[in-house]
Amino acid sequence: MSESRGGPVTRTARRPRRTVAASLLAATALLAAACTTGGATSKADTGADDTTPVTITFWHGLSSPHETASVNAVLAKFHKKYPYITVKAVAAQTDDKVNQAIRGGTAPDVASSFNAANVGGWCSSGAFQDLTPDIEADHVDMSQIPKAVQSYTAFGGKRCTMPWLADTFGLYYNKKLFAKAGITSPPKTMSELAADTKKLTTFNADGSIRTAGFMPYLGVYGMLTEHLVPSWGGKWLTADGQSNVGGDPAFAQALTWQKSLVDWFGAKKLVTFKAGMGDEFSAQNAFETGKLAMMVDGEWRNSFIKNDKADIDYGTAVMPAADGKSQLYGAGYVGGNVIGMPRGAKHPGAAWKLIKFLTTDTDALTTLADAIGNVPTTKAALDSPALGLSKDPNFAPFLQVFKNPLTTTTPASADGGAYLTNFGHFVEKWQTGSVPDLKAGLTAVDKQNNAALKLGQ
Amino acid sequence: MTTTYAPAPARQTRAASPHQAARGRASRRRKLVWIAEHAVAVGLACAFIGPIVFIFLTSVMTDGQSLTTNLWPHHWQWSNYRTVFATAPVGTWLVNTVLYAVAATAATLLSSVPIAYALARLRFKGRNTAFLCVITMMMLPPQVLVIPMYLMWARLHLTGTIWPLVLPSLFGDAFSVFLLRQFLLTVPEDYLNAARIDGCGELRVLTRVVLPMMRPALVAVGLFSFFNAWNDYYGPLIYTGETPAHWTLALGLATFKTSHAVQWNLTMAATLIAMAPVIIVFFFAQKAFIEGVTLTGVKG
Amino acid sequence: MATQLQLTPAPLRARLRRNRLRVLLFLAPGLVGFAVFLVYPLVMTVWLSFTNSNMISPARFVGLRNYRYLLDGDPLIWHAIRNTGWLVAVMVPAQVLFALGVAMVTARLKAGASLFRTLFYLPALAPPVAATVAFVCMFNPNSGPVNRILGLLGIHGPLWFNSPGWSKPALTLLALWGSGTMMVIFLAALLEVPAELYEAAELDGAGSWHRFRYVTLPTISPVVLFATVTGVIAGLQYFTQAMVASQVANGNIQPAPGYPDGSTLTFPQQLYIAGFNQFHAGYACALAVVLFVVAMAFTVVLLRRASGFDIEEAPR
Repeated sequence: MSESRGGPVTRTARRPRRTVAASLLAATALLAAACTTGGATSKADTGADDTTPVTITFWHGLSSPHETASVNAVLAKFHKKYPYITVKAVAAQTDDKVNQAIRGGTAPDVASSFNAANVGGWCSSGAFQDLTPDIEADHVDMSQIPKAVQSYTAFGGKRCTMPWLADTFGLYYNKKLFAKAGITSPPKTMSELAADTKKLTTFNADGSIRTAGFMPYLGVYGMLTEHLVPSWGGKWLTADGQSNVGGDPAFAQALTWQKSLVDWFGAKKLVTFKAGMGDEFSAQNAFETGKLAMMVDGEWRNSFIKNDKADIDYGTAVMPAADGKSQLYGAGYVGGNVIGMPRGAKHPGAAWKLIKFLTTDTDALTTLADAIGNVPTTKAALDSPALGLSKDPNFAPFLQVFKNPLTTTTPASADGGAYLTNFGHFVEKWQTGSVPDLKAGLTAVDKQNNAALKLGQ
Repeated sequence: MTTTYAPAPARQTRAASPHQAARGRASRRRKLVWIAEHAVAVGLACAFIGPIVFIFLTSVMTDGQSLTTNLWPHHWQWSNYRTVFATAPVGTWLVNTVLYAVAATAATLLSSVPIAYALARLRFKGRNTAFLCVITMMMLPPQVLVIPMYLMWARLHLTGTIWPLVLPSLFGDAFSVFLLRQFLLTVPEDYLNAARIDGCGELRVLTRVVLPMMRPALVAVGLFSFFNAWNDYYGPLIYTGETPAHWTLALGLATFKTSHAVQWNLTMAATLIAMAPVIIVFFFAQKAFIEGVTLTGVKG
Repeated sequence: MATQLQLTPAPLRARLRRNRLRVLLFLAPGLVGFAVFLVYPLVMTVWLSFTNSNMISPARFVGLRNYRYLLDGDPLIWHAIRNTGWLVAVMVPAQVLFALGVAMVTARLKAGASLFRTLFYLPALAPPVAATVAFVCMFNPNSGPVNRILGLLGIHGPLWFNSPGWSKPALTLLALWGSGTMMVIFLAALLEVPAELYEAAELDGAGSWHRFRYVTLPTISPVVLFATVTGVIAGLQYFTQAMVASQVANGNIQPAPGYPDGSTLTFPQQLYIAGFNQFHAGYACALAVVLFVVAMAFTVVLLRRASGFDIEEAPR
């Protein structure tokens, strides 16, 4: 008696497979019944001061040695003020990890991020808890924080993060190369920037770039669209949250300027040059080694240059403004670290105390700002005489940008800044010359962004 | 190229007879073909091994030199390897990778053997459907199921560890079951019947009689499980991504260059460190390796 | 066994029951695995594809919205589909043909065949992440040896992993480099072709191409089919090398999926991004359903054509 050989599959399908099928169904039903996504949202604990010793975990994204050491120093100050709270800090955490931890129920008590674009998703999904009850209960003075900075840390009426040190962007330039090319002062308009770039660029015998005056290729180091567009005053979203890149002429103007400079170099040469640039945060950074004469970067670069002991004679200035928009000169882009309490934090009371300390205590802010060379986020800290950075001439342009009322930021959106990612994809096509009609392309991007925004609702 | 048995039309050579002339020509031709074949093989070998040589040479360059097109290091900086371990927790990654690979392999072997045996040698209704299910599981891309699986592990609070990677192997691995089942089909029924007649229950038949005969298949499955786990990037990315202390080599190496702001020299050193254990194991178990791979293909 | 038929019904039923229990015991881990790790997640994937799940807050039923977004909202999905399609249509055949060619060269070698086989197989051992990182370094248009060597030959090398047109071919070269496993399998199959068949063909006057077509190919075709189908399934899942290559080539800390210009964005990558980075887990499940349907279609094709699988085969 043997099994039938080589019959069609359907023959066996008709035979009852009770035992196997039954156990499968039972198992599936049990598991399906047990499955629901999500759980209870925990409320912020603003209860009475409880001084039982507690240890909280704090994840931050800083990774270089001098930055982590500085954070630990500030945490030591926090421990002195609240001796019953011990903070376990974990460095080099990215947003992906934070998200995964929240989903997995293993979130830290406090988490910070470089990427304010995620704030919208965090606030609207409840991944980060709304801090408004805590802020009101402790009477935190939000007017200390500039409006632009407040705007990228909240979304949809919920303030789920606080700003923790800000970043502003400006122009770094190599004084020695300037002198060699006969340029006496940093450019103030975008056409001056283009002209200076051409003067500073040198080529090898085979036509490849030896020293680049400026890197107009978007996506390299700090040269990102969001840092370029403020020179034209572009607004990413309309007042009712719709995508605005097609509607606002600033974007088309910025991209046109950018492409003409890319074409002067030759897009392929720029990509080849980019592939040979040292890692952005290493001591082989192309600006620090003199291969890049001017670059747009954040204020932290000052501190990196100092720590890398780079052999470079440099200066800083605010980014040039677009031609005909001189009122924008002195404004720029502001972004920064955000810090909040993830859902599922085990010690919300202690966590809030740490957040409040790091973001509003003047001494904490000035110490950390001086140590890692970032912009402190409260007016009190900015005006504090203890702030060493305010005496550093290379830091002055960045503080100027921070205080300027016309400075803008990238607004929060519910899907983690998909509008920026979409625009980034468009720009990649644009700068390699694959977009024949700029205006139509930008309108298409608007349509995509709006569809993406609707998806998350 | 054909071997001629009859004398070919004469093209006058210095050979004494047409027959010898043909043989001479054929042997010259064979020599040329031999040279050509081996030249191609050598060329291919260079192409295959070249990258590994390049990795090694770059790994001992200085920072500055690794950004240039020089192929030979001016200065042999062996300290790069020490620097890699100092820059990133490579030792931790190694340990995690070994843990994952060993645990997954053991679990796979333990659970897949009985299932394969049942599919190959036990008779029951629905056996063919069950085998079809195995094939379906084999062919199913893991990304299809990842979202609910992730939610499930999250509810069990096991994300951030390697448990989600290891535990499923305790319930059988489709590819291993498939391989083992195909192999078991070639074990003659007589051995099994002899044991059954002697009064052995099926479990004893399996462990006493069949298992010893399955050694090559077990080695093959073990090797494949081990290296699938060692090389796995997707699984650790999803399930251990949030806890750097549990990262595996694959995960750490992927972001090594940018997370630690290093240049290509250290990155290549880290790459070699990730490749070395596998290559070393291979040199010790070459025969088993090749046998195992062959088994997969021939029985598959 | 004939004697079983002579047993009375009761002992027979008892024996059958024992047999069923035994089978269940052997299959137990597999059954649990099937239910927990296949059926349940599959059902949930389909269910979640009709919701707006973001894996954090409770999911809400939204009907076909995710599928509509797939069809005409997502700007990147057609890139992803085209790229995965390219990989299946170009990379897989390239791998099969290359592995077959190398195997044929190795089969004909007399001196040092096993050494060459080892050398050809060695790169297949390299972990995919390591191999990808190494290749991006090697193919660096500025400082990599490949363009340097091409330059010596007078060819101006392309931008490889930084060029939208060359990134997938570069990934294909990476796959060819690592096709040692397939090659060893083909080699074993080639060596198993009986020599008598070749001799008979020669006697009939067949040239080398005819011998290949009528002797070699039919004999090794089950192995080639198996390799091709597993290659296709791997192509549909292709994730690691594309993801790592795009990030390393781009050189930023933030991952840059699809760099350059969406050319390396595969379908599984888009699934990962939507579900894990963009809070669109419901949409990711819709993508998963599509992937499932396509993978199953290929599987059905395989099952219909593969007589070599011995699916219905009885124990010998």
